[in-house]
Amino acid sequence: MTTTEQRPDTEQADEKTPFEVLLDAGKQHGYKLDWLRKGESFGQKLEADLTKGGLLLQDIEVGREDDIPEHSENYTGRPRGAQEREGAPRIGDYKIRDKGDVWLRNAADLYEEAIQRQWSSATDIPWNTLEALPDDIEMAQCDLATFLTDVEFVAGDVPGKWIAETSPDFYEPRMFLISQIMDEARHLDVFRKRARANGGGLMQQSRAFGGSFAGGIDNARDFTEMSARLHISGEGLVLTIFRMGERMSYNDAEKHIYRLAASDESRHVAFGVLHLKYLSEVQPERKEEIHNYLDEVEQGLVFATGSSQNPLARGGISGNSLAILLGGGDDKMDEGEQIAMAMRQRQIKEYIQRVRVAGFGERFENGRAMPVLQQYIAA
Amino acid sequence: MVQSEIAVTEEADKAAADEVRRRMALAQSGMARPAPTDPRQISRQWGTRARPSSLEGGLTIDDLNIGIYGHIPEHVESRNRIPRGATPVPGVTDVGGYSVCDSSRLWADGAGLLYEEAISRRWSTATDLPWDTARDLPDDIELAICQVATELSTHAQVEMETIAKWFRELNPVFHEVKLHLSTNIYDDARFFDGYRKRAMLNGGGMLLESPGWVNRIIQECYSGWTEVAILMFLVRGTFTQTVLRYLSVYGPTELDRELALRCMVDKTRHIQYGMEHLRFSFTSTPERAQSYAVSLIAAEAQIAREEDDHVLWEALAIIFGGGIDNIDAGMEIVNRMRRDWIQLYVDRMEWAGVPRHERLMPALKRWIEEPVEATA
Repeated sequence: MTTTEQRPDTEQADEKTPFEVLLDAGKQHGYKLDWLRKGESFGQKLEADLTKGGLLLQDIEVGREDDIPEHSENYTGRPRGAQEREGAPRIGDYKIRDKGDVWLRNAADLYEEAIQRQWSSATDIPWNTLEALPDDIEMAQCDLATFLTDVEFVAGDVPGKWIAETSPDFYEPRMFLISQIMDEARHLDVFRKRARANGGGLMQQSRAFGGSFAGGIDNARDFTEMSARLHISGEGLVLTIFRMGERMSYNDAEKHIYRLAASDESRHVAFGVLHLKYLSEVQPERKEEIHNYLDEVEQGLVFATGSSQNPLARGGISGNSLAILLGGGDDKMDEGEQIAMAMRQRQIKEYIQRVRVAGFGERFENGRAMPVLQQYIAA
Repeated sequence: MVQSEIAVTEEADKAAADEVRRRMALAQSGMARPAPTDPRQISRQWGTRARPSSLEGGLTIDDLNIGIYGHIPEHVESRNRIPRGATPVPGVTDVGGYSVCDSSRLWADGAGLLYEEAISRRWSTATDLPWDTARDLPDDIELAICQVATELSTHAQVEMETIAKWFRELNPVFHEVKLHLSTNIYDDARFFDGYRKRAMLNGGGMLLESPGWVNRIIQECYSGWTEVAILMFLVRGTFTQTVLRYLSVYGPTELDRELALRCMVDKTRHIQYGMEHLRFSFTSTPERAQSYAVSLIAAEAQIAREEDDHVLWEALAIIFGGGIDNIDAGMEIVNRMRRDWIQLYVDRMEWAGVPRHERLMPALKRWIEEPVEATA
C-alpha cells in the first residue's frame, strides 16, 4: 500500500482541509506538530532554468525583499525569514545590524559567479610549460610570488572577522566574502606553487606586511572603511597588475595564473565599488566620513614607497622585481621602469574610475582629491 | 576648511607632485637600479623544483613540501604573515592576532590533501542538482523538508561564523590548515545556499529556528581552536553528517537525496580534519585529552537539552516515514539515526584519544546501550 492510499478519508471531515485533517491525525498519535505551518508564499514555485544558469541565489528571494530588514534585531543567528523561537539563546556577536553598512545590490550574483568560476591551481595551470629562466628573471618572479603570497593572507583573513560580525539577515554579502576567502586561499596557494615550481623558492618576506599604527587594512573599525582599503585600494592595485600579467609572464603557466587571478580579483573590486555605491545612495550623511577614508587611501596611492602593500611601489623588492620582469632582466630595468610607470598611471586611472562609479566622483571636481593624482596620470 | 589647512594641503600636493617628477626622472636616468643580488643568498633552497607527484592530481600543495619547505615548526614566534620558508626580515613587526602559534593547537597532516580534494570536487547548487525532481510533494512532507532545511542552514551558518572568526587567530605558517579551512567555510556557504534554495523552491521558506543550545556552545567557546574543533567537527559535525546520510537514503525526491549526499561528502572532509587534528594534538600533549574527557560533560549537557526538542525529530519522521500518516514508522528510523550519531560520536572521540563512553551523560548513553525500541 502506498503512503497516499493510507491517508485518512478527508471527505468525512467537516470544514477541515485535508492538511488540517492530517495534522489532527498526527496529534492524535501524540505528536505536537506545532511547527508545521504554511506561510503565505507556500505553493509558489521557483523555476530552475539551466539555460540561464540554473537556480540562482539572486532568484530565490524575489518577492521576499521585505524580509530584508533595514535594521536587524536578529540576536539568535536564525536564517533570514525563519520564525523566532521563544527562549532561544542570543548567540550572535553581530555588530553590523544596519543594512546600509554592509549591503550591495548584486552580492548574490557575485557569489554565484564565484561558484561558477572556481578553478584549481593544481590542474588548471600548465605547470609543464615552466622552463629554466635566467637567475635574475627567476628571482624576480619568486620575489613577486613571495610578496603576493603574503598579500593574499591579508585579503583572506581580514574579511573573516566581518563575516562573523554581520547579522545573518544580510547573508548575501557574507556569502560573497566567503567566496573571496576561497579565492584568496587559491591565490596564495598558486603563487607559492609558482615560487617553488621552477627552482627559485620563496624569497625575502616583505616589510609591507608588518603591523602599523594606523591606516592598515587590519586596523579598520568599520566595514566600509575596511572595504575601501581592501577592495577599492588594495585589490584594485593588484588587479591592475594581474590584468597586465601577460607583460611580465615568461611562459603559459604564468599567463594562466595572472589571467585566472585577475578574473577573481575583479569580483572582489566590484564588491567594494557596489557596496560603496549603495551606501552613498542610502546613507548620504556618511559621505563626508567615507571621503575621509578615501583621503587616506589616496595618501597610500601617491606616497607609495618600499613599505607599501602596492606591489608596484618604488624602492620595494616587488617594485624592483616588476621592473626586471617588465624590462626583461637586471640590465633592462630602465625600460622596465618605464612600463611600470605606465602601470602605476593605470592604477590611478582605474582607482579614479571606481570612485566615480561608487558615487564619490565629486572629490575629483571639487579639489578634495589630491591634485597629484591628476598630475600622475598626465605625467 | 580654514585657510591655513588649505595652505598646508596645497603645499603637500605640490610636494607630492615634485616627488612624482623626481621619481620619474630617477627612473629615466636609471639611477633607481639596485645592485644585482645573488639569489642563492636569499632563497633558502635555490635550485630545487617541486614536481607534481601524479599526473592526474597536478601540482598539489603537499608536493611543495620538499626540504626546508616541509618542516612544520612546533612553535612560531612571529605573528605576521611571513610565508613558511621565506627569508625573514629583521624588524618586521606583528600585525595582531595569529595567537594560535603551536602546531599542537591546529595542525593535521592531511590538511593539504583535504584542501586539494575539496577543490577537485567543486560543485554548484545552481547547476549540479536536479531541481525539477522536487515538485508536487504532499504538503506535510514539503513543510517537513523546509523545517529540516532551516535547521541545516543554521548548522552551516554557525560553522561559517565560527571559522571566519578564527581565521585571524590561526598563524599563516600553518598555511595548509588555513587553506583547508577556506574550503571548509566555502563548503558551508554552499551547504547553506543549497538548503535555503530547497526551502524556497516550492514556497515553503524557512520555518522555526533551531533551539540554539549547541549553536551557543560552538559560538561561545574561546578556550582554543582545538576545543572549537571538537565541538564543531566531532560533536555537531558528526550529528549533521548523520542527518545528511539518512536524508541521502530516505529523502523524498532525487533532489533531496542528491543534495544531502553532496553535502555529506563535504562534511566528511571537515570531520576528517577535526579527527586528524585531535589525534595529532594528543600525540604531543596526551594530558589534554584527559582534561577534555572531563570538560566535555558540560557540552554534552547542552546536547542532551537540545535532544529533548521535538521539532527536528518530528520533521525527519515525516520525511523518513513518507508523511504524517506514517510518522510512527518514520520515528523508528529517526531513533536509529539518533543511536547512530551518538555511537559515531563516541567512536570518533575514542579514536582521537578522548575516552568518552564511560563518562557520557545518561540521557545520551541510553541511545547506545539500550535497544532502539526501548529508547523511543
